Amino acid sequence: MQVTFKVYRKDPEKDGKPGRSNYTLELAEDATVLDALLKIRDESDSTLAFRGCCGRGYCGECMMRVNGSARLACTAKVPDYIKKGPEISLDPLRNVPVIKDLVFDWDAFMWNKIKEVKPWLETEGSPVNGENLIADAAMQDLRKVMSCFYCGMCDEGCTVLPVDFDFLGPAALTKAYRFAFDPRNKDSREQVKIVEKPKGIWDCVHCYEADEHCPRGIEPTKRIVALRDRAFNSGITHEAVARHHASFAASVKESGWLDEGRLAVESEGLTNVKGLMKLLPTAAKALARGKAPIPYMHSKRPDADKIKKIFEKAEQEEK
Amino acid sequence: MKYAFYPGCVSRGGCPELYPSAVKVADKLGIELDELKSVGCTGAGVLPQNITDPINARTFAKAEQLGLPIMTICSTCTGVMAQANYRLKDDPNYRAKINREYLADEGLEYKGTTEVKHLLWVLFEDYGIERLQSLIQRPLKGLKVSPFYGCYLRRPPEAITPTKELNRRKAYLDELIGILGAEMADISGKGKCCGFPILSANEENSLAMVAKHTGESKEKGADFMVTPCPLCHLNLDGNQSRAEAQTGKEIDLPILHLPQFVGLALGFNPNEMNLKRHIVSTTDVESKVSMMS
Ligand code: SF4
Repeated sequence: MQVTFKVYRKDPEKDGKPGRSNYTLELAEDATVLDALLKIRDESDSTLAFRGCCGRGYCGECMMRVNGSARLACTAKVPDYIKKGPEISLDPLRNVPVIKDLVFDWDAFMWNKIKEVKPWLETEGSPVNGENLIADAAMQDLRKVMSCFYCGMCDEGCTVLPVDFDFLGPAALTKAYRFAFDPRNKDSREQVKIVEKPKGIWDCVHCYEADEHCPRGIEPTKRIVALRDRAFNSGITHEAVARHHASFAASVKESGWLDEGRLAVESEGLTNVKGLMKLLPTAAKALARGKAPIPYMHSKRPDADKIKKIFEKAEQEEK
Repeated sequence: MKYAFYPGCVSRGGCPELYPSAVKVADKLGIELDELKSVGCTGAGVLPQNITDPINARTFAKAEQLGLPIMTICSTCTGVMAQANYRLKDDPNYRAKINREYLADEGLEYKGTTEVKHLLWVLFEDYGIERLQSLIQRPLKGLKVSPFYGCYLRRPPEAITPTKELNRRKAYLDELIGILGAEMADISGKGKCCGFPILSANEENSLAMVAKHTGESKEKGADFMVTPCPLCHLNLDGNQSRAEAQTGKEIDLPILHLPQFVGLALGFNPNEMNLKRHIVSTTDVESKVSMMS
């Protein structure tokens, strides 16, 4: 079969401006995108830079965008794409610093962020014969998470990274979960505290895009939600988030539902004049249109006492 | 056709225009609503699951007693409840534990039969599009509309799109725009997050998301955006001027709630749908709509 690849190019040693090269080549019927790239490099353009290693979807090295969507080049079958048209576009992932052509900066994209979450185990006491043995059953949940092969698909699908590249991202936060939830970890809050800092779990919008993208079914968003729940249950250390969550919880506990006026004011902090002033223009407009909820004026739901009882019991249970 | 109606906090708090519009539209469509009054907040993805699963289980048990499916008018309420419901239905031991520890005191039990549906799903799956079409009095011809779902109405799949057939849910709003006679101004972020959940943790990122979605819609020539989620509305409408200030770009895009959009097509006038209560002015939409009838 004959196929044309339109490949993203950028060479820092030339002008560093992004462009595109077209390559038309003859391929075997079962060729993958990685096969095509190797053929291009061997036969027509030795300057084309890309990464690839295991060739069987295991190492995650050859992650790139094929026709706009992130794929491992070694598992992306060319015939599947040419059904839709004779041309295939290849690009680096979105929002990554590109080094050359399809090679991008994995350190900046993921590894530096993973290093930030303290991705190792610290146990109580010393290991026996160099091992921290644990019952198999206790590792069931983590085994799934440990199958992560750092492909970066979750970060590629993330909603926050395109607006803020410094956000730790689902891959690194999932790594934090892996150690925070390891029963052998001597401080179950260690990683939680790290990822509570700005650009961590509280910057996640929990939109579940990452879960849809992860090829291993690791469900990074659910892991992030678990980290957040643990932070909530053991005392949130991020100041603004702590205020917001405490106000939310207090209003549901006292009245069964949310007092939004109170939430807006208490989230800024009752003594934070600057923060409260910031709310004023919107509040004034809202008031003029008869829609600003007045703080502390909202009524209890019928059965609020029953909801409060459940709330308090659940809190107690977690302690 | 009757539902246990769960209006959510925002439809009477931050977006008080939503609740009365939804009730009027349901009435016109002949959808009977039995409002659940003595139930709690879903937790909105803010409170942890260990607290909200029992509170939501109580809501499901109350609806089960009425023998009615739950209908919401909020993507976030729908999503949070659908996720909790999935856990409770999927794992009978978990459900039994919640029943035993939290609901038994009140003599309640959740058997796992309640369904949770957003009004948007109700229109397509229960009410029927033909029936809706037969009631359209003012096809919204000439209006360009961008859909914005609210991410809770898109994912995760086990709760939101559990079967292949229900994958269609991801396109209901797109379809509805055409059904009501309007033209779609599609945007790339229609299924993404509006930024509301991180407003207190990272306002800059939150407002950047508002600017991105509303700006793209405006560039595509939309008259307004429609959303089934009042939390998205709070951010996209309420904080649009702050997003404009942050990016230094004027946007000025009205955001309509789903029931308002349906209501206009059913023949309600803009005042009856409380359009005046929005932060971003809806004057242009109102005059276009008034010229239609
Ligand atoms: S969590 Fe999944 S998507 Fe993210 S890097 Fe690991 S394997 Fe890839």
